[in-house]
Amino acid sequence: MALDAVELEIVSRKLSAITDEMYFAIQRASRSAYVKEAADFATAILDLDGNVFAYPPSASFAFLVDCNYRTTIEAVPDVEPGDVIITNDPYRSAGLATHLPDINLIRPLFSQGKLVAYAWSFVHCADIGGAVPSSMSPALTEIFQEGLRIPPMKLFRKGAPNNDVFDLIRSNSRVPDITLADLRAMAGALALGEARLSEFIEQIGEAAYLDHVKSVQDYAELRARDILRKIPDGAYEFWDYMDDDMVSRVPVRVRVKVSVTDGHVQLDLTGTDPQVKTSYNVPSAGQRMYWLTFRLTGFITTQAPDIPKNAGIYRNISVINPPGTVLNAEFPDAVNLRASAPYRLFDSINGALIKAVPDLMPAATGGTMVPFAFAETMEDGSRKVEVVQPMKAGMGAMRGRDGVDARDNSLNNMRNHPLETVEGHSALVVTEYDIRPDSGGPGQWRGGVGQMITVRSTTDSGVIVARGMERLRFPPFGIFGGRPGATLISIFNRGRPDERLIAKIHELHMAKGDTLTLMMPGGGGYGDPFARDEALVLADVVDGFVSSQAARTDYGVVIRDGVVDAAETQKLRAAPRAAPKSDFDFGQFRDLWEAVFDDPAMLELNQRLFKLRKSSRHAIRRKIFERVVPELADPAAVDLTTALLQTEILRARFAEAVEELLPATGNVA
Amino acid sequence: MTEHSNIKSAAASGCRIGIDVGGTFTDFVLADTATGLITIFKEPSVPKDPSASVERGLPKLLERAGCRPEDVRLIVHGTTIGLNAVIQRRGSRMGLVVSRGMRGILEIGRSQMPNAFSYLVPKEEALVKRRLILETGARILEDGSIESEASEAELDEIAASFRAAGVEAVGVLLMHAYRRPDVELDLAERLKARLPGVEVAASAAIWPEQREYERGLVTLMNAYVQPIMSSYLDRLDRRVKGLGITAPIYITANNGGTLSLATAAERPIDTLLSGPASGVVAASVSARASDIDQVVTVDMGGTSADMSVIIAGEPEMTNNTHIGDFPIILPVVNVSAIGAGGGSIVWVDDYGVLKIGPASAGADPGPVCYGRGGTEPTVTDCYLVSGFIDPDRFVGGRMRLDIEAARTALDRIGAQIGLSESPDRPARAAEAALRVTTAVMTAEMTKGIAQRGQDLRAFTLLPFGGAGPTQANLIADTAGLSRMIVPARPGTLCALGAIMADVKRDYVRSAFFDLTTDGTAGPRIAAQVKQLAEEAGSWIKGEGELLTGHVFSVSFDMRYHGQAFDLPVSVAWADADIDVAAAVEDFHRTHERLYHFRDLEASVEITTIRLRVTGHVEPLRSAAVRPSTAQKTPHTRELYWKDAAHSATVIARDSLAVGDVFQGPTILEQEDTTVVVLPGWHGRVDPAGNLIVEKSEHQ
Repeated sequence: MALDAVELEIVSRKLSAITDEMYFAIQRASRSAYVKEAADFATAILDLDGNVFAYPPSASFAFLVDCNYRTTIEAVPDVEPGDVIITNDPYRSAGLATHLPDINLIRPLFSQGKLVAYAWSFVHCADIGGAVPSSMSPALTEIFQEGLRIPPMKLFRKGAPNNDVFDLIRSNSRVPDITLADLRAMAGALALGEARLSEFIEQIGEAAYLDHVKSVQDYAELRARDILRKIPDGAYEFWDYMDDDMVSRVPVRVRVKVSVTDGHVQLDLTGTDPQVKTSYNVPSAGQRMYWLTFRLTGFITTQAPDIPKNAGIYRNISVINPPGTVLNAEFPDAVNLRASAPYRLFDSINGALIKAVPDLMPAATGGTMVPFAFAETMEDGSRKVEVVQPMKAGMGAMRGRDGVDARDNSLNNMRNHPLETVEGHSALVVTEYDIRPDSGGPGQWRGGVGQMITVRSTTDSGVIVARGMERLRFPPFGIFGGRPGATLISIFNRGRPDERLIAKIHELHMAKGDTLTLMMPGGGGYGDPFARDEALVLADVVDGFVSSQAARTDYGVVIRDGVVDAAETQKLRAAPRAAPKSDFDFGQFRDLWEAVFDDPAMLELNQRLFKLRKSSRHAIRRKIFERVVPELADPAAVDLTTALLQTEILRARFAEAVEELLPATGNVA
Repeated sequence: MTEHSNIKSAAASGCRIGIDVGGTFTDFVLADTATGLITIFKEPSVPKDPSASVERGLPKLLERAGCRPEDVRLIVHGTTIGLNAVIQRRGSRMGLVVSRGMRGILEIGRSQMPNAFSYLVPKEEALVKRRLILETGARILEDGSIESEASEAELDEIAASFRAAGVEAVGVLLMHAYRRPDVELDLAERLKARLPGVEVAASAAIWPEQREYERGLVTLMNAYVQPIMSSYLDRLDRRVKGLGITAPIYITANNGGTLSLATAAERPIDTLLSGPASGVVAASVSARASDIDQVVTVDMGGTSADMSVIIAGEPEMTNNTHIGDFPIILPVVNVSAIGAGGGSIVWVDDYGVLKIGPASAGADPGPVCYGRGGTEPTVTDCYLVSGFIDPDRFVGGRMRLDIEAARTALDRIGAQIGLSESPDRPARAAEAALRVTTAVMTAEMTKGIAQRGQDLRAFTLLPFGGAGPTQANLIADTAGLSRMIVPARPGTLCALGAIMADVKRDYVRSAFFDLTTDGTAGPRIAAQVKQLAEEAGSWIKGEGELLTGHVFSVSFDMRYHGQAFDLPVSVAWADADIDVAAAVEDFHRTHERLYHFRDLEASVEITTIRLRVTGHVEPLRSAAVRPSTAQKTPHTRELYWKDAAHSATVIARDSLAVGDVFQGPTILEQEDTTVVVLPGWHGRVDPAGNLIVEKSEHQ
């Protein structure tokens, strides 16, 4: 690699500054809360092969660099100066857009008449049509219900707007003005990018520019590879579960084998469960992409905070991702809530890396981010929906440090809303917004506690809608003797006679005075909790992160009147205890589940399922699990743990069900 | 510095002194109010007790200016003591009382991690541990109604817990207290009665704006630094009086104004970010005097560089900034960091890429050329080796720089980045490092200006700080700016700004009005504004006799219904009523200017009323510079730039008179800094005494 020691830093800064200018141009001109508050947008400049070489340092997501831009570029080959390509179609763009609200624009950039780069931007728009406002609902089963699909096509021709496309979008969005303003904001940013880049190329010359585009990616590759080389050569397997797919209560498993050879990392996702009926599928087109690599991105950017964010980072990462799984959805499956399964893959890759580099990785983070909203019917009959809070879990503990309490940047780093504005926007009172005691996984280093919130409706027409709820049954795992974090719990009318636990919320009706309490998971713990410094346990109790009851049972520390009872503590801590069975503590539910549905059996099951026609896989799979554990089919059966206790009987039942419904040979379905 | 000083001469004889405490030096500026002559002086700082360097420096300054202690009419002082106390967590032991269910408020904060890309960067340490955050049953609802009140028994219990914990100060933060400040104040009073000797502050008394976390932080931070600030200000007052100076002392404020000693002791929160603000105030006076409308400032010192923007002679304000990882919603002069300072370290990473900072050699050991044990080259060493600064004339010749040591250190860098060995390798390495430094700063400035929706090239660059004028032309040349303005004393601009500033304080009230549907809003808004004006008016009366009068300015934060952000709109305000229609039209117009449309279907809302009171301090006369005895005959020095040595004319800045012109490469030396003018640029001294440096048409 021919790196120019001086020019590399100078030119990188200059190009990053151009992308920052583009980024702020979108932010300023957009009218949508997705842009203004959630920062759900980005922009970049790509080389002629469709690889990102400049990315805005100010962008809220770092991982979008790893995207397939090429399919969209190739889909519209005859481009001229001033053209802008648009698409939001996950299938036709082969995963550039990963759900319909993400509108992507690509502009070929010309300098002195010659194509020199592409500029890209995307915005999560407020509404792109479909069955529900904001175009996102877990209840949808086909992409046709999720909104308007725009395959790659020209939005601008030689600088002139293609009014037909604008008009089509105007007619399909519930908030056309805001959506079209987003399109104009993006197009403006891309034009700015072209002006700035061509000026820049004139300054330094085309040859120097092309050299730089290559060397800055080479530099990122070298740095990333050295980080990845910290992972010893070998293969590391791991899997994790989504609680269910919303229409059934059958868990969905994500599986990965991370193979490392001299800083080259291969993610083999074979064995992951088939795609689901609802909108949790990931339209990855079987390629490497950010929803599959974002744990590795985080690993690299944590270890090398100043690495340039460009496609070079990913040159030594590859994936094997067979079609038909929840991580490689096939047309026309619904995809709009595609973040949940990748979050479990994130945890799985994290777990695999714990096996490889245990001192560099934290235990599982709380693993769910729940933006929940309150809908109410207004006097004129209209329905008003306002986000209450994006609820956050706690983060996982590491060797030598506790997990972060009540904040989590693993999926995104979105801000919350002041309660004083929340109460101004919705007919509710927040009676509690606090840390959730005892939710952090116990350990020598404690997992971070999650947040909790209780809201009380002041209207009879209240409806709570929530998404992203996971970790209700499979808790965030602890490591090396550390215990798992608490699972997500939601409670209706907590502390009242009609109190009840609720599972995943789709729409929860709230009469005046009704309350909902959401208790977020904590992160997993690290190391034996009985080895935790007594003073730290005491401080946790005094500050309310750990109850004195839990201090005694989980940590073996007895606290009386605000001080540690040394004698009793010593006695408790000296008593013999069972050693941890493995480096990972997944909690009782997963242990029981896997005693019945173990890894070889699941791999075999999936092999057989994939021989079926796609349309029947889901139903057969569901039938098998519900036959083995009938409680899965009974929404009233809250306690699935008890249902799993008779391992041997269930295993026999499972073998029987598979043989009957999915015989190894012969014609089925 | 206004030339139209029509104020009569009660205070016309005598002098004012501005004092700014930096990490390395404490800067003094004395302005003779009769002649407008400026005298500057630098005294090494005493980080442990900054008032000691004030006490030591003041007599030397007076002697230099030929003034007696009794001639001093006003002292204005900027201090970072409060800011450091927050950053180093050295404040009072505090308790916090919150509405029930909100004990997690500081742990949750705005639910954000400081860094989105790392799982190793920890969140900030809370100002109050959760054990000392206690609940009250008092709850105000969003409409201002009271759902429940605090019981006596509950307050007894809270007080007992705080007493047992040895709490020194208590904040009270009730939900929606901005709606009913009386409820919160009453609770604070009842608690105070139970806690003799403990400060109890109600959030609505400190800053009654909606947003509980941010309002709580303002309250807590104020209480946190109060004891440290009070005792420091006491000590300062005693030391100054001990020198026979009886003039009042004022303290610089975040908003570019000043506050009396008493107010600063009571509201130290208003002074925490004042350091950089004062420099921008003086910069804005210079920009105005030279009639330059659109200015970007670069304040570059030893450890960091900051930028700010001045439009039409007014420093740009913001109410969205940070102290460490804490958001601050008070109106402050909008200053943001853009990276390297003179002490930033030049290094080469494992892949052979040349990097600058973020590590800094600071003041101790400092750059290699200081000869205090620093071994890693810094930006200042690069200036020296490139001929930008003179080893014998640094800080007016009071500190001799070791150029050979700097050359050796930079030669090593040159070897590391693969430069061939030659006598000029240190200079080539220095130039490379300065190009990287410039690229970093330029990128940050481009970003800062882009956030404001503008193009950096349309701005005039105004550098200040010890290193600003040395670095500035590199920035202008790289970023495509065509003009710079360099004030007379850029190295001590913060101290100068302090004595140019008026007394200023901001008031706020979150208040919600729908101007489209609510026909009766006008009088009710006016009543609220009037209330704020009365509060502000009675405060300003106590701010001292040197004020010649005061004015109020009023603005609203406005939005379209349902919009996620507000825009500030200034409104004309006369006692009786508010012209609602005019405010709405101004809002539409502002919105249109920024976002290119107006929404005539959405209703227009007010969310916040803001009022600023400005107490006028008699303007300084034209800040002419003391005629110098400096050498008049220019000499030359080799300036290394663009891979070649250029013979630069070296001129003493003090020897220049209005109208003088010069061509780059030129180096202007002055006691407080060195101004570098590159080849291809030329300059002149304008009637206001500022240097105007412009890009030459043909190069």
